[in-house]
Amino acid sequence: MSWLRRINDAIDEIVDYRALVPLRIAAGPLVLLHLRPLLELAADGVTYRDRFWMPFVSWFPAVSGDVYVVLLWAAAFFAVLMSIGLFTRVATATTAAIVGYNLFVSQVHYHHNRTFLFVLLIGLAVVPVGRVFSLDALLARRRGKPLPPPTARRWPLMLLRFQVAAVYFASGFSKLVDPDWFGGTVTRIRVEWYSADAVAAGVPERWVDLFGSSGFHAGFAKVVVLTELFIAIGLLTPRLRATAIWVAIPFHVAIQISASVQVFTFAALTALVIWVAPTLERRRLVIGQRRRWFAVAVRWLDWTGRFAVETAGGGDVEMHDPVRGRLVGGSAVARTLSLLPLSFWLAAPVDAATRRAVGPTSASDSAR
Amino acid sequence: MSGVAVPERPASYWLRRFVVVTFVVLSVTAIVRGYFGPPPVFAWRMFPEASVWQAEIYRVDDAGDRIDVRDSWPGGYTWPTLVQGKGLGNPFDESGAVYGVDSTLHLLQGSLDWVAANTPDDHETVRLEAVVTYRHNGRQPVVVVLHSEERS
Repeated sequence: MSWLRRINDAIDEIVDYRALVPLRIAAGPLVLLHLRPLLELAADGVTYRDRFWMPFVSWFPAVSGDVYVVLLWAAAFFAVLMSIGLFTRVATATTAAIVGYNLFVSQVHYHHNRTFLFVLLIGLAVVPVGRVFSLDALLARRRGKPLPPPTARRWPLMLLRFQVAAVYFASGFSKLVDPDWFGGTVTRIRVEWYSADAVAAGVPERWVDLFGSSGFHAGFAKVVVLTELFIAIGLLTPRLRATAIWVAIPFHVAIQISASVQVFTFAALTALVIWVAPTLERRRLVIGQRRRWFAVAVRWLDWTGRFAVETAGGGDVEMHDPVRGRLVGGSAVARTLSLLPLSFWLAAPVDAATRRAVGPTSASDSAR
Repeated sequence: MSGVAVPERPASYWLRRFVVVTFVVLSVTAIVRGYFGPPPVFAWRMFPEASVWQAEIYRVDDAGDRIDVRDSWPGGYTWPTLVQGKGLGNPFDESGAVYGVDSTLHLLQGSLDWVAANTPDDHETVRLEAVVTYRHNGRQPVVVVLHSEERS
């Protein structure tokens, strides 16, 4: 079976984890946001042991309230170290361990959105994301012993990708097989809960009636379910990956607007960097002197480390892309913008249109 | 028999494969396990229901009388100071069932047991009782009664 052989070979492949650095930096503030309500309670002298709590298993160690508070503050401290990249590996592993402990010490603490953050922390803890854009790297350079590049075997990335895709798939599939969900009952009732608030906020009643109707939800629920499943399958399919990421962005924004999911939206959006192709080879981008501002912008916004930017005479932009070869002018700019996290969502359709005009490329194109 | 030698693999080679396969099996198992009731650990069933629930919670004394926990409670206890999270802090008003009715009933049962075991200044109550009314995804109301462990 060729797919099994490909997976087996990929496990040992050496890849570049530079693209996960933005996730590491963002994970610190996300952990702080996640811990904030618990730290506020702790400041008032309330810990999980002062209220109803229920362990998942009786043998799970339940620390005292005082130790618990120390653990929470330690997690906050190490989350900051993780973000700034100081003792990165230890800081990330410790943060992951305490966030995980807090999740599993009581069933009351358990939420999928916090668990998603925990999964990301575990993933970050086992890959070398502290070797660039970190104080560790800065201090090592100053000591005259620069850190090696952030390369490692691919298997942790494979597992992280599998788990993230599994989240979308499990969520979508559970709704697909539930007639109440797929038929629109669940979404209709959930919208009904907020109808009165919407009218009070000035939304026209006929809109509320329309968006609360069974007919609307019979279609809307299917769109939601199929979107989740498409994102799951698309993320795992190189040819569909860019489209799946493009769809996932408004999908998460919509969830954030319509539901209270704590840090999930920000974690899920930032986690999209795990789908950046972890190639060792960077794209060479040659930018003419007259467009130096563009070179500066790319250097600042290239958070996933995809470009080696050079400036040259003239005013044109030229990209040497490992998949699409040499691109010049507008197509190079569109391609560049489609590979920068901040401009991806707007530029990716333009880049796709440009690509269609030029002609078909290889199947792995969108994966890059 | 061929004379071609099979290259020896280091232990780390097999360890990596063991970790990958174990992780995938555990992840899939957790997702499947989520279909068989709470707790929904790593099951990733987001917004599974639009069910609502409400409960009246009583202390039952030696004489068998049922006293609403919102009324006087020996020891000065109040339900919201003892129980918080996942909608359990205010069971008296109808609200959405976080992670579904089964999960809510599972946690409410746990909260009754915990409160019964952690209110030492209450010398009257022999057990707690919750009369729960839920509507699963807009269907007809269903009433269930939960009891805590007997207090010693």
